Amino acid sequence: MKLTVNGEAYEAKQSVSVTALLEEMGIGGRAVVVVLNDEVIPFSSRRTCGLREGDRVDLFRLVGGG
Amino acid sequence: MERQGKAQDEWIVGGHRFSSRLLMGTGKFQDAETMVGAVLASGTQIVTVALRRVGRIPQEDDMLGPLQQLKGITLMPNTSGARNASEAIRAARLGRELSGSPFVKVEIHPNPHHLMPDPIETFEAARILAAEGFVVMPYMPADPVLAKRLEDVGCASLMPLGSAIGSGHGLATAEMLRLILRHARIPVIVDAGLRSPSEAAAALEMGCDAVLVNSAVAASGDPIAMAAAFAQAVGAGRVAHRAGLMPRGGGTALATSPLTAFLSVEDA
Repeated sequence: MKLTVNGEAYEAKQSVSVTALLEEMGIGGRAVVVVLNDEVIPFSSRRTCGLREGDRVDLFRLVGGG
Repeated sequence: MERQGKAQDEWIVGGHRFSSRLLMGTGKFQDAETMVGAVLASGTQIVTVALRRVGRIPQEDDMLGPLQQLKGITLMPNTSGARNASEAIRAARLGRELSGSPFVKVEIHPNPHHLMPDPIETFEAARILAAEGFVVMPYMPADPVLAKRLEDVGCASLMPLGSAIGSGHGLATAEMLRLILRHARIPVIVDAGLRSPSEAAAALEMGCDAVLVNSAVAASGDPIAMAAAFAQAVGAGRVAHRAGLMPRGGGTALATSPLTAFLSVEDA
């Protein structure tokens, strides 16, 4: 399935949910916020939030800053 | 004596009570361990963090994990990287989702050369975020007119710059800060530009409620020791402010010892 993740083309192997995508990308355990097609996905609905061909996924995390 | 006997000299921002008057940024540290050491040494209760896209290959240490393990620390995500109000509002919402904190440092600086905050976009973002219930802490030019406008739209504090971010030029805006302090009814925090603990002490002596430092600690020779030095300086400046500085002399000296002729015969 073709997705756009953080502005880049990404071919998801078999990810059908946001949680599965994060695990596939190897960032499942990290604290990230997921934005799907400009909509923030609450942590509680990640597992049930399905992905569709062409979806835009943006992932953010907290880093050091002043 | 009674004043010093009071255990807590707390300040309140957005309904939250704090005893430390030193806010710390978490950028530019060599590693997470040094950052955590400096945060602990500073005694800070509010730390800023930034929001970034997740890279394919993690290039930076995870800052959130170590910070969340510390007790008594309030996270304040900033909106750095935002070039206008709508980007800042979006960053603030994402930051809240990640940190679980209502605090946001609104930071909008479109010009990467001087990093001066955009007053118009900052005002607009602050107005909307305050209405959404955020504890809005705007990084702002040291402008007393803008300060009043930001206060009127519900900001929890004012965070005027001492000088340009990371410049280490200290309290270049001192006269404007005094004007802001004279009229502000919400806490005033000097954010950006400080280099030395003595500058932090001067800000507190002047009547600022707190200071926010990052580069001054992170880019110092020994960040953990420097964090401790800032904590002492902020404490000293605050006590000095409450004590009240002596009046300045009018161009003449005033002796501190009795000016009796101690070499005269009767004293010998």
